Amino acid sequence: MNRALIRVRKWFMDRSMRYVVAVALILGVAMLYLLSVASTDTSQFATHLPLLLGLGVAIVVILMFLIGFQFALMRRRLKARVFGSKLTLRLVFVFSLVSVVPGVLMYGISVQFLAGSIESWFDVRVDSALEGGLNLGRVNLETGLQELEQKADSMAVHLSDETSVSRVAVLNQLREQAAVHEAALLSPEGTIIAFSGLDTEELMPVVTNPSILRQVRLHRSYRAVEEIGYQQLQLRVAVPVSQPSGETEILQLVQPVSQKLARDAAMVQEAYRDYQELSLSRHGLKRLYTLALTLSLGVALLSVLLLAIMFSKRLSAPLGFLAAGTRAVAQGDFSQRQPVHRHDELGVLTESFNTMTRQLSDAQTAAQRHQEALSAAKAYLESVLANLSAGVLSFDEHFRLRATNLSAENILGAKLTPLIGTSMQHWQDNAPKLVSIGAVARTRFADQDEATWEQQIEVETQTGKQVLLLRGSRLLEGDEKGYVIVFDDVTNLLQAQRYAAWGEVARRLAHEIKNPLTPIQLSAERMQRRLSDKLDVADSDVLSRSTQTIVNQVSALKGMVNAFSEYARSPDPDLAPVDLNGLVLDVLDLYEAMKPRLSVELADGLPAISGDSAKLRQVLHNLLQNAEQAVAISSQPQIIVSTSATENGAMLSVRDNGPGFPEQMMTRVFEPYVTSKSRGTGLGLAIVKKIVEENNGTVRISNPEAGGALVEVCLIGAASGTLDEQPLAMNH
Amino acid sequence: MQRLLVGVWLVLSCALARADNIFVQSVEFASNDGEYYLSATFNIGLTPPVENALNKGVPLYFVVEFELIYPRWYTLYFLNKRIAGFEQTYRLNYNALTRQYRLSYGVLQQSFDTLTDALDVLGGIREQRVLTDSRLDEGRAYEAQVRMRLDPTRLPKPLQVYAFGSSMWDVSSSWFRWTVRP
Ligand SMILES: Nc1ncnc2c1ncn2[C@@H]1O[C@H](COP(=O)(O)OP(=O)(O)O)[C@@H](O)[C@H]1O
Ligand SMILES: [Mg+2]
Repeated sequence: MNRALIRVRKWFMDRSMRYVVAVALILGVAMLYLLSVASTDTSQFATHLPLLLGLGVAIVVILMFLIGFQFALMRRRLKARVFGSKLTLRLVFVFSLVSVVPGVLMYGISVQFLAGSIESWFDVRVDSALEGGLNLGRVNLETGLQELEQKADSMAVHLSDETSVSRVAVLNQLREQAAVHEAALLSPEGTIIAFSGLDTEELMPVVTNPSILRQVRLHRSYRAVEEIGYQQLQLRVAVPVSQPSGETEILQLVQPVSQKLARDAAMVQEAYRDYQELSLSRHGLKRLYTLALTLSLGVALLSVLLLAIMFSKRLSAPLGFLAAGTRAVAQGDFSQRQPVHRHDELGVLTESFNTMTRQLSDAQTAAQRHQEALSAAKAYLESVLANLSAGVLSFDEHFRLRATNLSAENILGAKLTPLIGTSMQHWQDNAPKLVSIGAVARTRFADQDEATWEQQIEVETQTGKQVLLLRGSRLLEGDEKGYVIVFDDVTNLLQAQRYAAWGEVARRLAHEIKNPLTPIQLSAERMQRRLSDKLDVADSDVLSRSTQTIVNQVSALKGMVNAFSEYARSPDPDLAPVDLNGLVLDVLDLYEAMKPRLSVELADGLPAISGDSAKLRQVLHNLLQNAEQAVAISSQPQIIVSTSATENGAMLSVRDNGPGFPEQMMTRVFEPYVTSKSRGTGLGLAIVKKIVEENNGTVRISNPEAGGALVEVCLIGAASGTLDEQPLAMNH
Repeated sequence: MQRLLVGVWLVLSCALARADNIFVQSVEFASNDGEYYLSATFNIGLTPPVENALNKGVPLYFVVEFELIYPRWYTLYFLNKRIAGFEQTYRLNYNALTRQYRLSYGVLQQSFDTLTDALDVLGGIREQRVLTDSRLDEGRAYEAQVRMRLDPTRLPKPLQVYAFGSSMWDVSSSWFRWTVRP
């Protein structure tokens, strides 16, 4: 977030900086143009001169601020040791040196030249020539004035003598004699007494200033050159005319200066004025031009400096990128690509950097893919090992455990993973069976000639002996030596083999025993029938009891033999759909005597199950028999036979409130010849299990918490067909 | 024709804070038939560089400014509403050929032999009609002000640069203010 913000700000700053510089430069150039125009032209720019100068100063200040800002940035980058910032600084320094030195030199020369050239306008000779010209004009006019005054004086003498009435005629005559343009005789108050003019159309005399009258009344003659229009001059002289009456009249003569003289004089005067103006403002001019020059220099140099900074930054920016990229690569990030905007060596460098990172990243992905393949292979191997029903153990040279699998743990009934990497002396506590295996392996592997070996060993467990079949082989992976042992728990297999052998024995035995039993029974009965009448009461009684004993024992023996033969019977079941409820009711009909303690709970709508009905009857018989025997000692004997539907078929359960299965026998009651009864065969439940499994069903025993024993037989529905896996059958 | 004198001020302008070159000597403000007339006398003193320039032939322009302001208590002084303004420009120059000073004011011209005479006439303003009554409200207090100054913007340009910001070229009077109640 913060980083993004900084980047945006930086982008904006770079962009805006560019525009600001451009605007400043344009303004600067415009300002310089205006300044040059303003200082040569007397147009309206003159009034804006201070504004222009102010603008120039403002631009310079802005540029200086920008440069200061850039320098501050550079300083910060330098302090932060940003890669490339030193190069930037050096480039800026070189650029500035290259631009500032000639600039300042040019500036100095220009200022010097300027001052010199302005000074050269002002020459003492020009000065004195102009002054002389002006003086010439003045002298000229002064001479004219003197002449006019002399004329006026002589006229005044004539006029004071003349007392005749016709003063106008006298004045006119005098004026014409003196060749004066205009003459007027005024009373001391300024009213016109007589007037004579050359120009008859212009009869009105020039109005005289009261101050002139005052001056003349005091007998001081007045004379002056007067400006009457553009480049038009006239001479005016006023002299007192003393009258015999003592009054002082005033004679005023006006004589226009010749047009040519007036024009020349005016031109000299204007030239003089312009020259003086220039001379006066030469400091001002110098100051103006110097200021303009200085401002131009300032704008130019500062712009160049700013541009230098920006160009230097641009030049050294790829270095920073490359440094950042290199650092990223060092930290293992190969995703860095720098955009290439340039075609110089730095661009080529950036390009090759990008190529390098691309190759690195490709190599990295390849390595990663390889790694993944390896670990996949390993995982595959592990899963194979884990799913192997045989246990696998591998040892290193020094018989330290290296690897194992789940089946090994299950068979040995111990957690082996914590033991990996340990040697035999550490196994005793956690896995005693492993010690036996290790010991065997050690001795067998000691024989160098044998590459593989096979051995069956017996290990002690809480529940009895466990038989393990070990197969060992040497591992030769590279230089390392190692051993692998694959082993199976063959206890059950051996047991099954034993069962089969027993079954065979039982079948033969039953056959052999069964045959003589019927003759024995029949002989005993006949003996009793024949001899009972011939013997006395006492003997007859003995005979009858003995015969009864024989018959009873024989029938018991028959039952036993039947049981044997039943167990050893051919296993081929005759599977057909069976109504479980009907079967249960049929069988229970035979147990009339048990009725009081027997309750039946049959579920409605049971699916037909697939099975051999005759054999299933046997199952129920056996279970009821066990239950009957179990509840014999109870005060309130109760047996519950129930059926219920299951997911894929139906369940038959027989429950009693007897003592329950003896705890230590729970795991073995289904084994043949396991019995707790003095005259038991231990075949009842074995047969049940066999039949149920032949019918693809399962059987479970348990002791419910309420007390007694519970046997549950689950059978598959007829529609479901056969099971996928064939249960372990005890064939013979 | 009844002339009503609104006010006469004789100013003893010696101890003014500002270093003025032009002082207001007297001001007379009179109304006649709803028109107001201003008469004022300024005592004009030129600084040496200005006088030098004048004597070298540079024409000087003097401006007399009059303003009538309706002051509002809530605004700053320079933001106040200007009701009437009056400005008159005088041109004073020296003719080196005739050695005369010339004062021009509109079409009128006058020549003087000495600078003092010229400045005396320049400094006297006689009954100048400055505003008519119709623009004023009865019973309200207005503020009037008058001053005279040398207009530096009409100096020759190089001189302007030279004069810019220089106190020696700043020839002017402070504003002279009084209250007007119509
Ligand atoms: N309902 C039951 N209640 C208690 N124990 C039983 C029950 N059914 C069987 N057992 C136990 O299981 C043993 C094995 O039974 P079984 O295989 O039928 O042989 P037998 O009945 O000949 O002993 C019996 O000896 C008995 O200890
Ligand atoms: Mg039994």
